Amino acid sequence: MSESSQQPPAVLIDQVSKFYGQVVGLNDVSLAIDGGVTGVLGPNGAGKSTLFKMMMGRLKPTQGSVRLFGVDPWTSTAPYRRVGYVSESEKLYEWMTSLDFLTTLARLHGMTREEAKERSAHVLDFVGLADVMHKELGKYSKGMRQRVKIAHALVHDPDLIILDEPLHGCDPIARTSIMSVIRDLGNQGKTVLVSSHILEEIERITEQIVILHNGRLLALGNLHAIRDLLDKHPHRILINCEDPRSLAGLFIEEDPIYGVRFPRDGQLEIQTNNLSEAHAILPSIVVKSKQDISSIENPDDNLESLLGYLIQGAG
Amino acid sequence: MDRKGLGLAETVWTRLDRKAGAIVELTVRQLRHRVSTWVVLGSGILMMALLLAFYVDSVRETFEPIDNDGDSVDRDGDGYPLGQERKYGTSDSTKSEFPGSGAFVLESDIDWNDLNRVYMGNKSWDGMAYFEASWIDGNYTGDWWDSHIDWNMGLDGVPDLQECPEEVWRVEFGSACEVGDTDGDGLVTYMASGKWRGEGTVNVPDESYLEWGHWTESFYVEPDPPEKYIDEDGIDCFDSSGTRVDCPAGDRLSGSHGFDDDGDCLRTDWVTPEGEPQTEEPMWVWYTGNENGIPCDIVWTSSNGIVTDIDADFNVDEDPDDEAYAGELSHRTFIIGVGKMAFVILLGLFIPLFLALGLVKDESENGTLHLLLSKPIHRSEFILYRLLGYLSVSSSYVIALSLLVGTIAATLGPGDGIFRVADLPVWLGIGIATTLVLAAYGSLFNTMSLISPKYGVYICIVFGIWEFVMGFFSIINPNWTITSISITHWALQMIDAIVIMAWPDTLQWAQIGQAFGINTGLSVFWQPPVHTLGTNEPAVALLVSVTVLLTVTSVMVFIGKSVFNRKEIM
Repeated sequence: MSESSQQPPAVLIDQVSKFYGQVVGLNDVSLAIDGGVTGVLGPNGAGKSTLFKMMMGRLKPTQGSVRLFGVDPWTSTAPYRRVGYVSESEKLYEWMTSLDFLTTLARLHGMTREEAKERSAHVLDFVGLADVMHKELGKYSKGMRQRVKIAHALVHDPDLIILDEPLHGCDPIARTSIMSVIRDLGNQGKTVLVSSHILEEIERITEQIVILHNGRLLALGNLHAIRDLLDKHPHRILINCEDPRSLAGLFIEEDPIYGVRFPRDGQLEIQTNNLSEAHAILPSIVVKSKQDISSIENPDDNLESLLGYLIQGAG
Repeated sequence: MDRKGLGLAETVWTRLDRKAGAIVELTVRQLRHRVSTWVVLGSGILMMALLLAFYVDSVRETFEPIDNDGDSVDRDGDGYPLGQERKYGTSDSTKSEFPGSGAFVLESDIDWNDLNRVYMGNKSWDGMAYFEASWIDGNYTGDWWDSHIDWNMGLDGVPDLQECPEEVWRVEFGSACEVGDTDGDGLVTYMASGKWRGEGTVNVPDESYLEWGHWTESFYVEPDPPEKYIDEDGIDCFDSSGTRVDCPAGDRLSGSHGFDDDGDCLRTDWVTPEGEPQTEEPMWVWYTGNENGIPCDIVWTSSNGIVTDIDADFNVDEDPDDEAYAGELSHRTFIIGVGKMAFVILLGLFIPLFLALGLVKDESENGTLHLLLSKPIHRSEFILYRLLGYLSVSSSYVIALSLLVGTIAATLGPGDGIFRVADLPVWLGIGIATTLVLAAYGSLFNTMSLISPKYGVYICIVFGIWEFVMGFFSIINPNWTITSISITHWALQMIDAIVIMAWPDTLQWAQIGQAFGINTGLSVFWQPPVHTLGTNEPAVALLVSVTVLLTVTSVMVFIGKSVFNRKEIM
């Protein structure tokens, strides 16, 4: 989220509100984004897609202004020459091959058929679909389809890439692959906006985040800074083991642990005020206990908990 | 991808062109992958195939000759058809009167006003008179109506009649009585009333009437076969030099035409008892003829080189060769009927309903619109290019189909040539008129679906019904003002105009059909274009109609663009 004094930022959202009748889509959101990968986090209905659709000129802000590279996208299509957009919609032209699909869309950027074809093949290679580019889209898996959508957004080598839930519904392998593509784009110096409702996904992609909740901008900045704040907040760690009680005895002696519970048989819940420290001592205690640990879970390490914390903090 | 270094015109226009090409191509390919497209286009081909089958059945088959004037019939059963009886001047309602049976030739009469009431001769008499007979034909039947006097002839050849009563002044019609030899010259006088033949002196009392004449000799006439009186009097036209030419291709489009080929006009209605043509029109002619003073002719009236009326005297050119005339009329009726009803009204309505209604709406509902609109393409451009894509499919289909049907019909159609080249402009015109309808309906339906995605289809169906009804009204009577509040009306006007431009003699054919009773429906399916702005020029009507259709299309595209530009896409 760096500011440029010479050029307008890639994305400038100024006190934008969007109302659907009585329902609030976005409420007084202001943002300036330029360069790098930014994660837009928020639960379903937080306003992520509304924000993206306003950036893409699909929706008109009820109040405030949206500018892409200094131009209002509602009135002008000029910014789209520099923007790639992946919508949350999953529908594609099933009867087309991915190369065909991309070539057609690339031609809308004014490329010749040959240019478009060449560029499409290149982008499909970039997203790892080179070997299936002549297959019909109807035969593609969910992850492949998402990658095709990303490829369509990249076909004209845009400066700003907006990805609405690009990992939604993908299997772990596809997810990893798409995340890698997004990171690569960020490394290339593009401005990338990627939305998700899963904290872990965003965490693996970027440190810059924007958190939306109920249409409001809840937080923006470095995820680690936010996480550090969250770490200081009461946290639970669930450990499934053979003898929770003996393990509890070992934990309760340690400083960051202030309480233990036994929610179910074979399960220990430890409570801490410092998640990082708790995780740091966890391996040594497990070794010391000489027990078989079947799993360790952090039930509070998710977006809901983060939101809960932020909302409390805001309150 | 930067095109630096290229001129502005090249970059802007070529990129616009590439975008248009991409959207048009995408639309065409999308339509190609939809079942409904193939269903509606296939149905159109099937409909044309059926119509062509009917056409082949009705036009290519040899025409059963039609006795348009009904003179091949022998109504009185005497073995002679009406046409032959007309030629010989005999009646076809009296069996005993037939060609060669002898005809009564009226010579003179004594009517109520004549001062000289005495006449002498050997005649066939009809009326009332004192007849001083030197000879009476006792066997006279006359075969001429009835009321023949029965003279009750004795073996000696002298009538045996009752004496007339005292102070009698009239006897029953068809009878006679004996007055006696009043002057003592040996010849008996009779009071006769009715028909008789004899030699002597007639004295016609005041307030009585007598006419007389003679019978021609009877002779044998070979009865003509009825077929001889079918198609026996074709339509004759003459050019300005008076040379007989093929109708209606002559260089003279007005004035007196026609020729009484079978002679029934001149023989039955226009000859005097002396066999000379009458110089004055008979009284009855005013309601059956053209009153131009020329016996047995046909008056062609034209305006600006177009025949507007054909007015025939009775029994002239009344039984044309049906194969030649009905064939041509049916062929043109088929083309115009198919063009108007099958192409403009049916295909023109159904193709846009299936192909254009969802051009933008379906993309929006599917979510694929986001893919397209994330590219630097304005929404207005998008609508325009989508419509162009739809039009490139639908118009190439209708133009190809019209030319295909046209080629088949032009090959099978009547005429001396192998191929009717003059038909093709009409078929092409039908294709273009349908294309303009497709453009107008396409933009209208697309706009309706943008204004109301939920109810647009119902609005379009209601609109389609209106257009359907107005289309039929326009065919029946294009002058009805209300029909002009429809898109169909203007396309039908285009066809009317194109028809007369490609076949300038169509109005003549329609007039011929009406004038000579060749009922093929040409006058129903085709009427001269209405919207000529008072010039009577079909080109003006064509221009006006094209302008109206293009205006409707442009307005609808503009409204659609305005609606779409303001629409938020979820």
